[in-house]
Amino acid sequence: MKKQQRRDPDYALLLVTLLLLGIGLVMVFSASYIIAEESRGDPCYFLRRQATWVGLGLAGMFFLSHVPYWKLRRWSLFLILLNFVLLTLVFTGLGEDLGTEARRWLGFGSFTVQPSELSKLAFIIFTAAFMSSRSIRIQKFWSSSFIPLFLAGIAFVFIVAQPDLGTALVLLAGTVVIILLAGMPFKQAVALFALSLPPLVAVTIKEEYRMRRLLSFLDPWADPGGAGYQIIQSLYALGPGHLFGVGLGRSRQKLYYLPEPQNDFIFAVIGEELGFVGAVAVLLLFFVLIWRGLKIAMMAPDTFGSLLAAGITGMIAIQALLNIAVVTGSVPVTGINLPLISAGGSSVFFTLLGIGILLNISRHSVK
Amino acid sequence: MGDLSVSQVAVRKKLLAMFFFIIAFTLSLVGRLAWIQIVRADELYDQAWDQWNRSIPTRSPRGSIYDRHGRLLAGSNTVETVVALPPRIEDPRLTAELLAPLLEMSADELYRLVTMHRHSIYLKRKVEPEVSQAVRNLELPGIVFTTEGKRYYPNGTLASQILGFVGMDQAWAGVEVYYEDYLKGREGRILFPSDARGRQIPHEVRRYVLPKDGMNLYLTVDETIQYIVERELARAMLEFQPRQAMVIVADPRTGAILAAAAKPDFDPLRYGDFDEKYWPLAPATQSFEPGSTFKMTTLAASIEEGLYNENEYFFCTGYASVAGHNIGCWTAGRGHGSISYLLAVESSCNPAFINLGQRLGKEKLFQYINAFGYGQKTGLDYPGESAGLVFNLSQVGPLELATSSFGQGVSVTPLQQVMAVSAMANGGYLMKPYLVREIRDSDGSVVYERKPEVVRQVISRETSQKITWIMENVVLKGSGINAGIEGYRIAGKTGTAQKVGPGGTYIGGEYIVSFIGFVPIGDPQVIIYVAVDGATRGAQWGSQIAAPISRRIMVDVLNYLQIAPSERPPLPEARLVEVPELFELTVNEAAALLDTQGLLLRLVGEGQYIVNQTPKAGAKVPQQTQIVVYLGDSKALPGGAIGLPDLRGFTAREVGDVLNWLGLHLAAEGSGVAVGQEPAAGTPVQRGDLIKVYFSSPLELER
Repeated sequence: MKKQQRRDPDYALLLVTLLLLGIGLVMVFSASYIIAEESRGDPCYFLRRQATWVGLGLAGMFFLSHVPYWKLRRWSLFLILLNFVLLTLVFTGLGEDLGTEARRWLGFGSFTVQPSELSKLAFIIFTAAFMSSRSIRIQKFWSSSFIPLFLAGIAFVFIVAQPDLGTALVLLAGTVVIILLAGMPFKQAVALFALSLPPLVAVTIKEEYRMRRLLSFLDPWADPGGAGYQIIQSLYALGPGHLFGVGLGRSRQKLYYLPEPQNDFIFAVIGEELGFVGAVAVLLLFFVLIWRGLKIAMMAPDTFGSLLAAGITGMIAIQALLNIAVVTGSVPVTGINLPLISAGGSSVFFTLLGIGILLNISRHSVK
Repeated sequence: MGDLSVSQVAVRKKLLAMFFFIIAFTLSLVGRLAWIQIVRADELYDQAWDQWNRSIPTRSPRGSIYDRHGRLLAGSNTVETVVALPPRIEDPRLTAELLAPLLEMSADELYRLVTMHRHSIYLKRKVEPEVSQAVRNLELPGIVFTTEGKRYYPNGTLASQILGFVGMDQAWAGVEVYYEDYLKGREGRILFPSDARGRQIPHEVRRYVLPKDGMNLYLTVDETIQYIVERELARAMLEFQPRQAMVIVADPRTGAILAAAAKPDFDPLRYGDFDEKYWPLAPATQSFEPGSTFKMTTLAASIEEGLYNENEYFFCTGYASVAGHNIGCWTAGRGHGSISYLLAVESSCNPAFINLGQRLGKEKLFQYINAFGYGQKTGLDYPGESAGLVFNLSQVGPLELATSSFGQGVSVTPLQQVMAVSAMANGGYLMKPYLVREIRDSDGSVVYERKPEVVRQVISRETSQKITWIMENVVLKGSGINAGIEGYRIAGKTGTAQKVGPGGTYIGGEYIVSFIGFVPIGDPQVIIYVAVDGATRGAQWGSQIAAPISRRIMVDVLNYLQIAPSERPPLPEARLVEVPELFELTVNEAAALLDTQGLLLRLVGEGQYIVNQTPKAGAKVPQQTQIVVYLGDSKALPGGAIGLPDLRGFTAREVGDVLNWLGLHLAAEGSGVAVGQEPAAGTPVQRGDLIKVYFSSPLELER
């Protein structure tokens, strides 16, 4: 079963990844230089950080693309344990709140890491490994699907408490995607969905701000200064962008109108500066990335490879498409960033690690 | 790989499904983007543009108001308004607490303002320079200033009722309101795209909407004449202690108003501290029963219609019987007896005017009443003018015809009377009165120039001349004698009207006394109207109160306008008359006695009878001298403790005489007329007490 022939990696995937990274660096700079100049005295502050993480991420990607992916199986349990250790540490003195009220980061000197980003990758590797192990009988829920779901549930609670509902949902969704792909019986899936709905709703409506944010996308103008503010500002970026954009660097909405223009709402800045054409181009690049990822999953030599590739791709797909859906006011605001593009070191680093794994799987494709 | 573990074939099938789902999702996002960025692009752009655009209003100063010779009456200077920019305020609580004492506002209210979801908001408008400097010294982030205009008045309250006043954003009264569109100018704006903190985005285009300066008004009012008028009104308020006094001075040839005022008035900078009934220009906005001055209308109509023959004789029994009512003549019982129409008219005999009215008939009389402009607004360029009230022809029966003939049962404004009598003076032309003669823009070029406007010719030149001659006789030897000025030919008519109360019935004991006159005969250049409402000192006759006020004003106005005396003066120089004995007479008896001599009666103290007088009986004095009398109930000067009388309005000599009678000593301070006293009026005093009296120009006191 070990396929030792090592072929070229999927260069299309590599190319698309590099393109998105490049666009990301340019747009992070464009979206942030004024704010960075005013708040940190250095227009390149966010660019520098992002570039550092991209560099580290590319190194990690290169490394993982040469590590036979099946070796990750052995690491999966360790990764899950590490994930829980780090998630716990966030709530200790090591946790940093970086000026917001949230506790999402762990500080190591001047270095901060978001453990939840590791969690996502760790759960994909673990779930793919667990679900593809020979001893699993998928029909027996309690000894198969339940275990990764249960662990993911615990991680979910940790991450929601940070609070970072967006990341928590992505983690859970990624895990569920792998379990579904692995062949969870339809009845179980329906029952599980029915059972998980009430606690999800409870978590959502517990905090009043989540509820308001959740529904405000339906009519942002009902509360333009409050819950609808972010969506309205995003639309005020996209609309004036029109077909070809106002020109690179010339966004007005990034000037304190948009919340986190270099982060969750960077796609709005892309739409404003590069127009419909630029926005669709980015969307299509993601589509190509997802397509290549799914193709790698299909061509993977074993079930672990398939599930692993599908999990990584699914995770990137969920984040990218949901982020764009949020920015266009199509779904409730969830706080998910745009992979590979948004400023955010941990996110781009672990995404690149995932792509490194994908590249490795692609080198072992069957036919 | 047919084992029971997860099948890769099954995984692939599901992957394909997932792929299709992603295609669908991606396509719907492309559609959504197209909807936002193409279909709704323009709409969103417009909304976003409103959000980006900041505009800073640049206010141009309000136009100034000048008198007819370009002397400033109302100017504008620049003051600062404190503005908060909530997004840039760092510590709203601290900001509110630091500003509260300076702006004299509560910290909670300020906190509410500085935390509003607005880009900018006024905290306090038009503050004093010391306040804005103190705020500036705090160097609070997000607190800025904008400049606005604020009115100032070099002459204080002068002409306040003509000018009106300006509130925070607009005018509220007077010509300020009537000419608001000219005075206001247009607010300019600087438009620029800005970031969410209100700062201009660099390198983007600013757009300017240029402000337009307010235009300047040049009134027909003459500052000097207005000053003379207000000075004499203020003095009359002291002398006669009336409810209200008012004057119009106009040019009878053009309808231009040279001065107009009523007292009490108000300070346009502190209008809120004054009763709003004193804001409007009463001579244009108040109407009341005119009394005898209205008889000129009946006379003019009769002459014009050929129904008046001055040599015809008329018998006045003291009353006229009309439709079962006996209408008295002012001579009250005695009657004029058999007199010529000329004398009857000159002596203002009510039955004679009733007779003239009956000859005219109601159609003709009311045709002239309407033609002279009564019952309609004159069209003065001033807000809130009253139209007055005259009977509708269908309501007029014999009684209404009779009373209207001598000025009862109609309600007219002083301005209407001035315009009607102007027509009698100027050859028969009813003019449209006006206050603004010219409007210039800020460059000084004339944008509007008012020409005198004839409404209609009401009577012929001959009739006009005849009335003028009759009115001259009224001043020479009739009730207008106290308005006469040595060397000038003056026409005039006095009036005394009972006041109508809210129920339509007459208020006993309260009169509006008036005088209307013009000068010089032959080429009338100035017309004056004086009315005093509810005088409480002196006999309430036009001849005793309104005529002397008119005289004092006209003496100064003629001098100021350099109107030369007539070449053939109608009066012999300084006619001396003997002061009659007034002891034990009542006020009305004394007034009747003095009136025929051309002397004025002035009262001090309270009571039924006159107990002393100055000058003494038998003294030779010029006509128009005022005789001050002390009133008491006991027909003798009081001894022991007495209430100190109100001495305000009297000259130092008169005050000295009065105090002397009472055995009191005078300590005078200042010069002019008495404006204050210590102790106050009514305080019990003993013989030998020292009374301090302050003398001043009455207008100075108002400042």
